[in-house]
Amino acid sequence: MKMSAILKKEFLVFFRNIGLVVFILYAFTLDIYIAGKGIKVTPRNVPIGYVNEADNLIVNKIISSFHKPEFKKPKMFLSEKALKEAIYNKKIMVGIVFDKEFVKNLLSKKEAKLQVLVDATAAAQAEVTLIYLQNILMKFGNNLKLPATIDIIKLFNPNSNTKWFMSLSELMSNITMLGLVLIAVVFVREKENGTWDIMLLMPVRGSLIIFSKILSQVLILMVGITISIGLIVFGAFDTPINGNLFYFYLISFLFAFAIGGIALVIASVSKSVLEVGHLTIVIMLPLIFLSGAWTPISSMSPFIQYLSYLSPLRYYIEATQDIFFRGSSFMDLLPYLGAELLMALVLFYIGYKKIGRLF
Amino acid sequence: MSSKFQALDSKNILLEVKNVSVSYGKKIAIKNASFSLKEKEILGFIGADGAGKSSTLHAIAGVVSFDGEIIYKNYVYYSPKEAEKIKNEISLMPQGLGLVLYDFLTIKEHFDFFRDLRGLKKAMEYETKLLKMAGLYEFQDRLAVNLSGGMRQKLSLILSLLPRPKLLILDEPTTGVDPISRAELWDIVNEMRNNGMSAIISTAYMSEASKMDRILLFDEGEIIAKGTSEELIADIKDYTYEGEMESKECFSFNKRTYCLNSLSLKKTTPTLEGVFFVNALKKSKKPIIFEIPKKNLQMPEIIVKANCLTKKFGKFIADNCINLEFKKGEILGLLGANGAGKTTLIKMLLGLYPIDKGELYLLNKRIKSYEDRIELKSKIGYVSQKFSLYKDLTIKENLDYFAKMHGLSVNETNKKIKDYSEMLGFSEYLNAFPKEVPLGINQRFSVAAALMHEPVVLFLDEPTSGVDTVARSAFWRLLRKLKENLGISILITTHYMSEAEYCDRVVVLKRGIKIVDDEVEKLHKKYPGLDFEEIFLEIYKEKNEN
Ligand SMILES: Nc1ncnc2c1ncn2[C@@H]1O[C@H](COP(=O)(O)OP(=O)(O)OP(=O)(O)O)[C@@H](O)[C@H]1O
Ligand SMILES: [Mg+2]
Repeated sequence: MKMSAILKKEFLVFFRNIGLVVFILYAFTLDIYIAGKGIKVTPRNVPIGYVNEADNLIVNKIISSFHKPEFKKPKMFLSEKALKEAIYNKKIMVGIVFDKEFVKNLLSKKEAKLQVLVDATAAAQAEVTLIYLQNILMKFGNNLKLPATIDIIKLFNPNSNTKWFMSLSELMSNITMLGLVLIAVVFVREKENGTWDIMLLMPVRGSLIIFSKILSQVLILMVGITISIGLIVFGAFDTPINGNLFYFYLISFLFAFAIGGIALVIASVSKSVLEVGHLTIVIMLPLIFLSGAWTPISSMSPFIQYLSYLSPLRYYIEATQDIFFRGSSFMDLLPYLGAELLMALVLFYIGYKKIGRLF
Repeated sequence: MSSKFQALDSKNILLEVKNVSVSYGKKIAIKNASFSLKEKEILGFIGADGAGKSSTLHAIAGVVSFDGEIIYKNYVYYSPKEAEKIKNEISLMPQGLGLVLYDFLTIKEHFDFFRDLRGLKKAMEYETKLLKMAGLYEFQDRLAVNLSGGMRQKLSLILSLLPRPKLLILDEPTTGVDPISRAELWDIVNEMRNNGMSAIISTAYMSEASKMDRILLFDEGEIIAKGTSEELIADIKDYTYEGEMESKECFSFNKRTYCLNSLSLKKTTPTLEGVFFVNALKKSKKPIIFEIPKKNLQMPEIIVKANCLTKKFGKFIADNCINLEFKKGEILGLLGANGAGKTTLIKMLLGLYPIDKGELYLLNKRIKSYEDRIELKSKIGYVSQKFSLYKDLTIKENLDYFAKMHGLSVNETNKKIKDYSEMLGFSEYLNAFPKEVPLGINQRFSVAAALMHEPVVLFLDEPTSGVDTVARSAFWRLLRKLKENLGISILITTHYMSEAEYCDRVVVLKRGIKIVDDEVEKLHKKYPGLDFEEIFLEIYKEKNEN
């Protein structure tokens, strides 16, 4: 009863704030559409290099499939070290290493491994290049195993994949930003309008107020996500979904609470909505950077890779891509769900403790 | 609008307002206001909430568009844009508790900021004088957010004096300002006038208005009377009687009754406040009769007992060992200058501030833990100094929220909303947003919100500040009814000393120390022949710096 009163109040306040409603609708629809449509990231003249330790016909054939206009003529390097150096110096963007075992494994239908090196600073181009690469390689054998990043997007279709990939990425970035702002603002607005004391005087536990307030915004987010998925992801872009949409909602929900924990910390130190805005930007950038949304995690430095385990967005993105493009089962998703749940619990606890001091 | 310059007939007229109207959408705030202001003259605006005072002031200051023309010295302007030219000679302080202040700047930084903004040179002596006059000299390094309500108001005022304006426009500058400081502010303005400044001041304190050279009475978007205080008072002497009474036809407030029909009571000299009541009567407005059914709430004799409550902010002691006993069915007035520690004390009683030292008992129970506090919350009602309600919710939605949060069922809630809105006379506003209704309505519905859960004690922090006279008289009748019929106790702070007469007992704080705790009747006996404002000033003088 008391919880529903808080929810009702927060919804009313939200909807009375027309500017905010319009902005959120924009962020969940048009912005996603523009992101999917606008930036056309097809590879153009991507410089590519390779090391061929196997020296086999198949390898030569694979190499020759990289051609104009997408790729420059592949350059050969004598060692992996030389190849890495070339990538580092931005001479090439993508490097492939065919080791001695490659052909042997390929032919004997064992697990064949290919090492792909990508220039992480040109993330979008590199991502899409990997998809191309994958498609080319697919023609040469089904049992070709590639590094995880390529695996994820294995099923992409070279012609329309960018918009699927980009729109989902944008959606998840927007959820992060809106989650932080919306949740922090429901608390900070009470400070700004001088209703904080009145809130404290309600004969209700602080925990109920905190939880209900967050829930109200999480529900708003979920509605936004639904609109976005329905209208843009499925509607405008016709993105295929191979997994179960329910798991997507489940992880979105967990993610929203993880973000909510961070938002509580922001709310506890901010005195005005403006401050919330500043802090959100400061916090959101590393969160997104560490998630692999811009740079594939596998091409981050090992230290950063470890750090990326701390970004709740990482699990969200990986799980989402798995659900949509791979059709992963519940068991496959369990590590992500588990990690996200853990993140949500830990972050929420920290945030709760922090804001709880003001109650 | 051909010639911008016109000769004024009289040499010493500073400002001439001709047929000025201001409207917001369909709503006409002020219609055809015409008047003039002489050099060195102080003109007072009085009138109910929403009567059009602020809009007229804003038109003159050139911050809203208006119809009609305004002539300042020899310069004619018809729009805010044209008013730009004279803005360096005019200073406006808008209404509201320190609205122009930045919460996270200190007093000193405010001076620096406003000086830069106005492109002024630093004038040490003048600034020091202003700060001392406002009693803020010692607090220059305090952030605005940590100032008491009245201190904020005084800071805004002296900031508006910083550019040494020729014409000072103050919109209710003394709302929430204590009697001592009000007198000081008046001295500031008077002194500036002797240096050649003119001023237009709107005010809700009639004792203040009667000091102005001339007064304009505003009502529902029109100026309905002009004159000196004596002239306005003379107009209503036939309707003013001694004593108070409850009646459907007559208004009573501050020991006087105003009635159009002749009464058998003795006539008496009116005060300026009477102008509002007589005007209301002439418009056939009737006093609201509050019908509050009798109830017998079970409660102990002592509702609140505080032993040596102390609150410190850093080294500063806001409340120093305050003892307080608050009885069943009592109206207790908490008085004191701005920054004396009234709000801080209330917040400690409410549990909004942790208590640094001392013990608190509510309904005979020691309040210590968080658990105790939650229980306490369902027994108390609170209206804060700023009437904090949710501005994005309608009045009905606000009430609905408060009721539900206190665990009332849907049926109970609806019934209570209906009852209270009828009893307190705001049914017609239920679907309006707080900022769309007069302050007096906000005040009553804030009280309704605080009463939803049938508390045994109400804490009201300056509920009457900024509220017009007729609404205040209604409010006090309401409080007495609540006390008599529900038996609840009410702790109230106010800067209208005349309102203290309605309290059973008063506690006076000075710089965080309790200097008086006595029944109002006894104080009158002790200081015979003085009204309460005089008693208060006397007490404050006596207990000077121990
Ligand atoms: N959070 C705070 N930090 C520092 N000082 C504070 C804080 N809150 C209040 N004060 C100071 O404590 C003193 C008492 O303030 P309080 O608000 O209780 O005054 P008040 O009696 O209610 O005054 P007013 O009549 O103006 O409302 C003031 O000097 C004020 O500046
Ligand atoms: Mg106060």
